[in-house]
Amino acid sequence: MKTYIAQRLAIAVLTLFGMSVVIFVLLRLAPGDIVDILFASAGYVNAAEKQAILKDLGMDRPYWAQYVSWITQILTGDLGKSYRYDLPAWQIIKPLVPVTIELALLSLVFAVVLGVPTGVISAVRQDTTLDYVLRVISLSGLSMPSFWLAMVIILGCVTWFGWIPPLTYVSPFENFKLHVIQFVLPALAVGYRSSALIMRITRSSLLEVMREDYIRTAWAKGQNGRVVIWRHALKNAILPVVTVIGIEFAFLIGGLVVTETVFNLPGVARFLVQAILWRDYPVVQNLVMFIAIVVILSNLIVDMLYGVLDPRVRYGS
Amino acid sequence: MTARRASIVVIVLAAVLALAVSGPAVSQTPKSGGTLNITQREDLPQGFAVHETGTISTSWPAMPCLNNLVFFDPLKKVESLDTVIGELAEKWSWQDNYRNLVFFLRKGVKWHDGQPFTSKDVKFTFDMLREAPDAQGKLRINPRKDWYTNIQNVEAPDPHTAIFHLKKPQPSLLLMLASGYSPVYAAHVPPAAYRTGCVGTGPFKLKEWRKGEFVEFVKNPDYFVKGRPYLDGLKYIVIVERGTRTAALQAGKVDVAFPGETTKTTAEQLKKAVPQLVVTPYSQNVNDNIIMNVKKPPFDNLKVRLAVSHAIDRRALVQAVQQGGAVIGASMAPKPHGVFGLLEKDLIALPGYGKPAEEKDRARKLLAEAGISPQKPLKVEMVTRAIAVYVDMASFVINELKQVGIEATLKQVETAQWHPMATRGEYQIGANLTGIGPDDPDANFFENYGCGSPRNYSAYCNEEIGKLIDAQSQELDARKRMQLVWDIQKKIEAEASRPILDWKLDYFTVWPHVKNLIPHQSIYNFGRMQEVWIDK
Repeated sequence: MKTYIAQRLAIAVLTLFGMSVVIFVLLRLAPGDIVDILFASAGYVNAAEKQAILKDLGMDRPYWAQYVSWITQILTGDLGKSYRYDLPAWQIIKPLVPVTIELALLSLVFAVVLGVPTGVISAVRQDTTLDYVLRVISLSGLSMPSFWLAMVIILGCVTWFGWIPPLTYVSPFENFKLHVIQFVLPALAVGYRSSALIMRITRSSLLEVMREDYIRTAWAKGQNGRVVIWRHALKNAILPVVTVIGIEFAFLIGGLVVTETVFNLPGVARFLVQAILWRDYPVVQNLVMFIAIVVILSNLIVDMLYGVLDPRVRYGS
Repeated sequence: MTARRASIVVIVLAAVLALAVSGPAVSQTPKSGGTLNITQREDLPQGFAVHETGTISTSWPAMPCLNNLVFFDPLKKVESLDTVIGELAEKWSWQDNYRNLVFFLRKGVKWHDGQPFTSKDVKFTFDMLREAPDAQGKLRINPRKDWYTNIQNVEAPDPHTAIFHLKKPQPSLLLMLASGYSPVYAAHVPPAAYRTGCVGTGPFKLKEWRKGEFVEFVKNPDYFVKGRPYLDGLKYIVIVERGTRTAALQAGKVDVAFPGETTKTTAEQLKKAVPQLVVTPYSQNVNDNIIMNVKKPPFDNLKVRLAVSHAIDRRALVQAVQQGGAVIGASMAPKPHGVFGLLEKDLIALPGYGKPAEEKDRARKLLAEAGISPQKPLKVEMVTRAIAVYVDMASFVINELKQVGIEATLKQVETAQWHPMATRGEYQIGANLTGIGPDDPDANFFENYGCGSPRNYSAYCNEEIGKLIDAQSQELDARKRMQLVWDIQKKIEAEASRPILDWKLDYFTVWPHVKNLIPHQSIYNFGRMQEVWIDK
């Protein structure tokens, strides 16, 4: 097990190295840089002034030198300085991370709580009215973009109740109730889409397992229906569902852009888009690396879970 | 008690009760206290460094922290020389036939960090802005250097006097000094520090700037105007999504919209949902215009440029693209929104302002004279910024041009590339928006039509017009100046290097409890918040 984890972590380091190169190159390929944006907001351009600012920011150096200094900084725990805010990048990024992680986790909880039971019911009641209703609901979840749903929720709140969730971040230590309200609605908007996916995977996986001989045997032995479904069938059908949950979590960390924007939540994804628009290289590069690390770790955790859920899975020494 | 007596008593009691209830509502005596929540459309692009930017996203939330020497009276709608009031300058005096402008500064004014404000700060700021050789401070970007080219020297003979020596008379310099873009910086604070914080003398002190979330100010108890500000604090809440901004205003989570962001349609929707909201239409001092590169064919040909100007039906553009939320006008904001706008009779005589069918015929004739016909159409590339308001306008113009035989393809340019491209003249024709600080010809003409100005995107240079621009700037007689400004506008439109299509209106929306926040005819100059109070 330890060897397996060590191998995976070694591969993760290589993956992160690849990611760092890709994000560094992609950012430089995008037209314009922070200095162009600064001049755009001033409404003119001056070549000499531009050169001076590039020099000041260290952007006049060759690309390889910029890359090496970025990687060196990361290895020493220094994330550099935000071009836009003239402050250490970590100071900017630090408060964003818990917001996004909390929203992603809460969305996932909603998705699992809604998706798994409905998937099971849909499979057990295959081709009944209830199954059709649940499938329509799940299809709606997949078809409805979460940003649209988010906007509908906001407009619904303001139209019917003359109220919208808090517009600035409320710390749970400041006001727990308001904090929960602030996160529940966006988590529902995002979680609904994920729950639809989880429901469909649960249903199809469970249907497949329920056709297996050992399930038929269990039924023939007169075992309790709940025991057959929850203990025998679902346990064997859950692996693909866990995989999807892992992928969804990784997706949510970077994919909450619109939900964070619509609900005005100061998270990583919303900030990342603003940083990209401003070509704030240190912030973008480090946020992307953060997302990559979360994706790698969540994949690793999912792989570890396989062993827990399925005794047949063994990790090579 | 008889029934009649009883009914009289009831009526009297009801009247007393009604008076008691309605009394406070009709009272307009300002009240102190409360925090005003204000919409901010994006995080502050350059912090509070107003002198290093040209966007209202910086100047609007920075204004409460800072002060000018002079400012436009926040309680008057129209900005002009008559509405300029003193801020850090208690009074001022023109001397030597408008060649010297002497400011007598207030005494006892302190910066938010406790340091005293003196004439050194004035000299520091304006030497930095005009890039004097011996300037103590330097800006990394200086977008309004052109405003101050006429200042020869700034003298600080004593701590409470500052003298601006001018190269030639320029009465309207006062208007540029009154703009929200002309605050005084502290000499003891590096200019770069304004990108991350704000040390001002203004009515509000910066409490916290939580990046991407909000900017919070608290009342400055040492403010030099007694009894001001009325509010205890201000909170500018960053709401990037337009739909959420509107919902927040509708729900009362914010009290004030962001200037320049409420279209006519949005205002109508808001008013329908919340009838008590107060909507004030006013000119943003921002115009839609077409830039044509006069250095490159085919727009080096006046006939082709004029054909473009004749072809565009301005009134249809206002209806179709702006949903009626704009007005037509030449290069100065039209009346009654602006002071220097052309009169209606002069406007309709300009290219593109007549009857659409006749104007298009005229355009076709001009093109034919330039050798362009439906059989041999002119093919051009129209550039514009990849932002909806630009693209919508450009698409309309392309359709208008097609009707006279000009086939234009649209090229959307990212914001980061737009100004470098326009400044370098790497385009043929473009759809552009231009915002002007104060409603004054000097602020507009030198910047957008002056020979060699980096914002003269058409690169048009006409000596005769240049002389007229100088003449109006030096003219002391207001009537004569107005006549000169009208002549310049007519000549500029007749040369069609940068035809103006319309002037945008904003439908500034606030809750009725917000008092004394009065929009002017420019979005850039009314954000000090010193006089604003909440009637709750």
